[in-house]
Amino acid sequence: MVTDCCVHPYPDGDTSLRRMALEAGALGFDSIVAQVRQGSIYQGIRIIPAAIIAETDARKVSGRLKRAGGEGVLVMVNAGENGFNRAVLNISGLHILRQVHRTQKNSFDHIAARTATSRNVAIDIDLYPLIHDTGTSRQKVLQRYQDIMTLRSRYRFPLTLSSNACSWLDLRSVDDMYHLCGLIGMDEGEVREALETADDLLMPSRPAREVL
Amino acid sequence: MKPRPPTLRTKKRYILARIDPPGVEIGPRDLYYSILESLTSLFGDVLAAEAGFILISCESGYAEIRCTRGLEHQLRTALSTVTGVQGKKVALRSLATSGTLLALRKRRSRPLPPQSEESGEWEILGSVYSARRYQGQKVDLVEKGIKGQELLFLTQDDREEF
Repeated sequence: MVTDCCVHPYPDGDTSLRRMALEAGALGFDSIVAQVRQGSIYQGIRIIPAAIIAETDARKVSGRLKRAGGEGVLVMVNAGENGFNRAVLNISGLHILRQVHRTQKNSFDHIAARTATSRNVAIDIDLYPLIHDTGTSRQKVLQRYQDIMTLRSRYRFPLTLSSNACSWLDLRSVDDMYHLCGLIGMDEGEVREALETADDLLMPSRPAREVL
Repeated sequence: MKPRPPTLRTKKRYILARIDPPGVEIGPRDLYYSILESLTSLFGDVLAAEAGFILISCESGYAEIRCTRGLEHQLRTALSTVTGVQGKKVALRSLATSGTLLALRKRRSRPLPPQSEESGEWEILGSVYSARRYQGQKVDLVEKGIKGQELLFLTQDDREEF
């Protein structure tokens, strides 16, 4: 299942969830992830419910995760400083660590990468800043993503790709995602794997890996 | 002037892109500068010059673009980073790449989306929107008012919820 791992429909954006699903389907996606209560299928496109937790304290994350998590719900936590990231990556029930590009450079290091691999937590690659930012701000994001790819080449933690679209005009096609991910050194196989990660996170087919 | 022999000519590639949302009115000059700005911002002046891109046509919701062979991937990447033209929010969807304009136009042969049709007024949270329905389910709402006309993109099925 090719999935856009986070979209923000109405009222956060200007496009309804159904319209977002319709357009995502036309752009080559099989499913989208959105912050909704229940999962559904619209015009053949699966809508996966997500819980996005934005906290700066790992204990609060743990509390909210117990309430938010459920069967079929993809749980995402916004990344923070290094200690926070290491702590949340160890909390069971977490699926995706997102917005790593917004944190300081050393916030996601080799220890966090190793933990992500062993706990089977995906790191989200947000394509929104690559599309909408320009100049130094985009350069910084590119640098962070290239750094993540360097760590990934060693630890092989899962990745997800998201457009973080608030409008259907912010969605990008699967082909466009291949092109954009090429900017950070991802090859076709890696992009394909990242697009299909969401399904694996909800229904893990393999046990978590121990990394030495 | 004697034309250059074919072996010395630069090989070209042609890209077909759809302009979303349907019906948006943008001038070819504005679109050209938006694409050029995206290309330059992403890959720099050197590659933008090498790409030698030109906008062949921009009509009926499609844009035909020509560039140097070998740089079409970079140009398609740049097209995906175009988010607006002259303040209007647009998205360019690359549909096909071809070696000749004729082949590209054959790829475009699928029927163009039918023109939108007015489908009454919707009232959402106290605001009145005029609705344009097209391609079956899709409904675009434009807020009625003098300034700050908000856009909403829904489907026909959303009507009951809103």
